[in-house]
Amino acid sequence: MKQFYLLYEMVRADFLERVRRYSFLLTVGAALYLAYSVSAEKVWLVVGDGYRGVYNSAWIGALMAVCCSVFFSLAGFYVVKNSIQRDTETRVGSVLAATPMRKSFYTLAKTISNFAVLAAMVFVVMLAAFAMRWLHGEVKQISLWKLWSPFLFASLPAMAVTAALAVLFEALPLLRGGVGNVLYFFAWTAGLGLSVNGVNDPTGLQIFYRSMHDTLKQTVPGTKEGFSLTIGGARAVHTFYWPGVDWTAQILLARFFWIVIAVGIALVAAAFFHRFDPAYEWSFRKKAAQAAGVGNGSSGTVNPIVTTPASVHLTPLNRRAKPAWPLPQLIASELRLMLKGQPWWWYVVAAGLVIAQLFSPTLDARRGVLVFAWLWPVLVWSRTGCREERNGTQRLIFSSERALLRQLPAVWVAGVMVALITAGGFGVRALLAADWRSIESWLAGAIFIPSLALALGVWSGTSKLFEALYTVWWYIGPANRTPGFDFIGVTSASSDPLFYFLAAAILLTAAYLGRRARMAYV
Amino acid sequence: MELIIDQVGKCYRGNVWALREFSLQLRPGVLGLLGPNGAGKTTLMSILATITRATQGRVLWNGTDLAHDPNAIRRTLGYLPQDLGVYPHLNAVEFLEYLAAVKGLDSAVAHRRIDELLNLVNLADVRKRPLGGFSGGMKQRVGIAQALLNDPELLIVDEPTAGLDPEERVRFRNLLSELSGERIVILSTHIVSDVEATATDIALISRGALVAHASPEQLLRKVEGKVWEYVVASSELNVAKQRYLTSGAMRRSDGVHMRVLTDQPPAGAQPMIATLEDAYLFCLSDHRAGAAA
Repeated sequence: MKQFYLLYEMVRADFLERVRRYSFLLTVGAALYLAYSVSAEKVWLVVGDGYRGVYNSAWIGALMAVCCSVFFSLAGFYVVKNSIQRDTETRVGSVLAATPMRKSFYTLAKTISNFAVLAAMVFVVMLAAFAMRWLHGEVKQISLWKLWSPFLFASLPAMAVTAALAVLFEALPLLRGGVGNVLYFFAWTAGLGLSVNGVNDPTGLQIFYRSMHDTLKQTVPGTKEGFSLTIGGARAVHTFYWPGVDWTAQILLARFFWIVIAVGIALVAAAFFHRFDPAYEWSFRKKAAQAAGVGNGSSGTVNPIVTTPASVHLTPLNRRAKPAWPLPQLIASELRLMLKGQPWWWYVVAAGLVIAQLFSPTLDARRGVLVFAWLWPVLVWSRTGCREERNGTQRLIFSSERALLRQLPAVWVAGVMVALITAGGFGVRALLAADWRSIESWLAGAIFIPSLALALGVWSGTSKLFEALYTVWWYIGPANRTPGFDFIGVTSASSDPLFYFLAAAILLTAAYLGRRARMAYV
Repeated sequence: MELIIDQVGKCYRGNVWALREFSLQLRPGVLGLLGPNGAGKTTLMSILATITRATQGRVLWNGTDLAHDPNAIRRTLGYLPQDLGVYPHLNAVEFLEYLAAVKGLDSAVAHRRIDELLNLVNLADVRKRPLGGFSGGMKQRVGIAQALLNDPELLIVDEPTAGLDPEERVRFRNLLSELSGERIVILSTHIVSDVEATATDIALISRGALVAHASPEQLLRKVEGKVWEYVVASSELNVAKQRYLTSGAMRRSDGVHMRVLTDQPPAGAQPMIATLEDAYLFCLSDHRAGAAA
């Protein structure tokens, strides 16, 4: 009983701390927007050969629950993947670490509070589903069970798994940062692929697919196989009546299985969770300690501050000896700051991709390599615009002379340089071939990506938003050559450099305004 | 060289005034800005460092209003914030080079200056070590070095000794005294001994208002003849504390030796030499009593 009380208090404190932040309002806003998009028929669920269900309680509930399961299992992960980090930053973790609390208890509590946040988002959509049923219903009778049961049995288990995965990623040192943010997207994509292939999946898509398809086959014999959730895509042209999923004990057991899996993931996370031990916080701390001789019998202490009057000698500064054009020096410093801390193999892969661009025989092959070359530095770009906030150096930077007009452009130029260098092979080949169309796309991409990173970093104060959004955008656009989203211009058909030059200008203005709003003076 | 803080006020959301009608006029020397936690010291430091705008009043640096030209002060400002942030993957030299570039220093000048500063704060032998592995005290020294990068005429240090061990605190205070020379140094702290050792002027701040601005000697004169010590039994300690403004209590074999501030000493009390801590407590108590009345 005491353990349950403790668990309740931990979850409650964590949940309240989150929901009282402005970011939670944004989260609720996003959930409402999703609900609006579905009710405004911007998101479609198409079954078979262009069919959708009649808007009854079952169909609306299933449609919105599928949206929750699919979108919140991706976006929700990034929303809640900061619970352990927050305890570290607020130093509450150190207090908790000094209590008898077990690691497994902690990771379980964090999973439950993550789940509570995600469930709150689902709850918002549940209410919106009721409103949609009332506004859009094509059948008079309202069944709350049919409307809400898809949320309870499909979305909530999906949220439980997402919540536990967020804790696991935070507990694993390698996945704690940007690498985890990027990898999760690909894991999520693979997970959705599994559900399409008929495997019992955490999102519950397969249950809806089977039920809807079986009903459709009875209504329209010989209809094609197919189940797609589309955003702004082709609309369904025919309707059919779908009575909803028959939640049998077998299905419920399968859904419950995912809750058990979530608990299992939380317990696995405990094995990797280091209980706020600072020795595991930074890999270079160990290196630094080794360099200082700590652990080798040496004290590792440094000499005290020199204070004898004779030793306090500082050459007076000639204030006129300022560089005429300080920006290049600052850009070089920003570039070094951006690239510092990358492991050696990061440079090896980046160099390999540049060489591959140089020596790829065809333009298509070079473009293919370029797509990957501009995914590789995602974690380098993602820190632009938010580095100052993350590291607590705003006060130093913002109190410097003309910080807004010097430092912000320097950060952006450094980001563009990273883009140009990592895609240098492509650029050189395009220049040699005087392929102006490719050069145009290359420059548009090189300018657009750092502009996006800078704007998102400045406004969100975190690298996570860019890491998530850019990866998704990269996947939809350049990787899948979707017109309108392809900022690299992988094919002539999908390329639209002018749009991305324009977008970069808007994003830069947004970054400038965002930073300006955070500074007392320009 | 002159810094004028004229009727400055700062109001945060929810109509919370952190600072009200605060005025000071500063010339070269070390000003100890002393006040309890939440008195408004950091808000004042943030306004002077151009981090935040004053809601009312103005700050003039050599006659230039900060609101009109914040860069006038930024050019000659050295600022050590209360919670210094560093980039953990950079070493001390790289971090200082970066900030030198942000401050617009010429790179050749910056390199020479960084060498001197690292020697000054005695971090030369760990100059290539990532800052992420530095202890709190070492990071604070990096903070001092960065504050001095541009040879500032105005040096603002906010709670600089927080997190330092006693030995480092003493050394840091000495360093500040050595550095003061022809510049204005504002040392914000709630630790009286930090100010005692270094300040040429003291400003007492409480609840966002200036309580006193005087030299240490003038402050000490305020409590001259008011500091007494007498012995009470342990059982009478609480009663004694309620009756007198107490600046210290020490248990001895003959009872508790109470150090009190009063015009009417108890029987058997011995007069004591006043310290700045006595003066600080007296002024704050006086101010609170006045505010309550």
